[in-house]
Amino acid sequence: MKQASNKKRKSRSGWIMLVLTVIIYLVTASTEPSLAYAALTKSFEVLKMIAPIMLAVMLLMALIATFIKPKGIARHLGEESGLKGWLLALTGGVLSHGSTLVWYPMLSELREHGARDGLIVAFFYARAIKLPWLPVMIGYFGLTFTVVLTFYIVLAAWIQGVLTDRLLQGEHHDKSK
Amino acid sequence: MTLSVRFKEAIMRAFKTLLNIAPMLLAVIGLVGLFDTLVTPEMLHSLFIGNALYDALMGIFVGGVSVGQPFLSYIIGGELLKEGISYYAVTAFILAWVTLGLVQLPLEWSLFGGRFTIIRNLLSLLFALVIAFATTVTIELLT
Repeated sequence: MKQASNKKRKSRSGWIMLVLTVIIYLVTASTEPSLAYAALTKSFEVLKMIAPIMLAVMLLMALIATFIKPKGIARHLGEESGLKGWLLALTGGVLSHGSTLVWYPMLSELREHGARDGLIVAFFYARAIKLPWLPVMIGYFGLTFTVVLTFYIVLAAWIQGVLTDRLLQGEHHDKSK
Repeated sequence: MTLSVRFKEAIMRAFKTLLNIAPMLLAVIGLVGLFDTLVTPEMLHSLFIGNALYDALMGIFVGGVSVGQPFLSYIIGGELLKEGISYYAVTAFILAWVTLGLVQLPLEWSLFGGRFTIIRNLLSLLFALVIAFATTVTIELLT
């Protein structure tokens, strides 16, 4: 019942945001049509880029829901997950591809099934390491900078996860507020 | 319940989730397009003044409101570095680009709740500053 009302609220806020965005575009189009067109073209490029990844993430969500029961998620990523939970979150964050937007639904669902907030935060921060783009970073900033920054990102992801768990302690059953 | 039935149900649930977040997702993508068109690299460069703390904070602000592929932050950051902007600013800029997302906030808020979103983003902001200083000091010590 509570979950249904949360979903309804999420959906309504989504529609409000969409209407506001359309209004911004209409205002921009009436004053600077070329700017609105360029922005719209860019948005379509982004949509085209994330659509296949989004579908892949949805498939991944379905596979997880099929093969791993909520109890399993709670065991691997929940309160008692320990070192394995951290390793899963950090490795998953580093290996995850595509825009953060496409990972929101899956992480939100894992969270609803008992995944710890700290692990979700660690996953998010570990995504700052973009494996496919590391050669570009090395090219611009050098190997030393890249190695040092990567090390600090992993360390920070873990520390932030620990801090989040402490700060959100007791919130686990009341997450949608 | 057989695996195939469970998979079909899971697929349906995943698509319902997708449909549920579609309006917010489209709104955020629309805003990404607008920001990407409005903010140019030249505008970014003009914001730094040469003070480590100020530039790092400015790097966080600019990176946080910027959107696009991460490699764009490396390219812009690399160009800023070539033009004499400090490692403090450039590191903070790159980190904020990939870890903070002003235009994504509404979607994050609607899916994870306000408290989670505020704490995660505040921690990302704080750590962008900490890592910018830690990285710059470590690089200076190593070289």
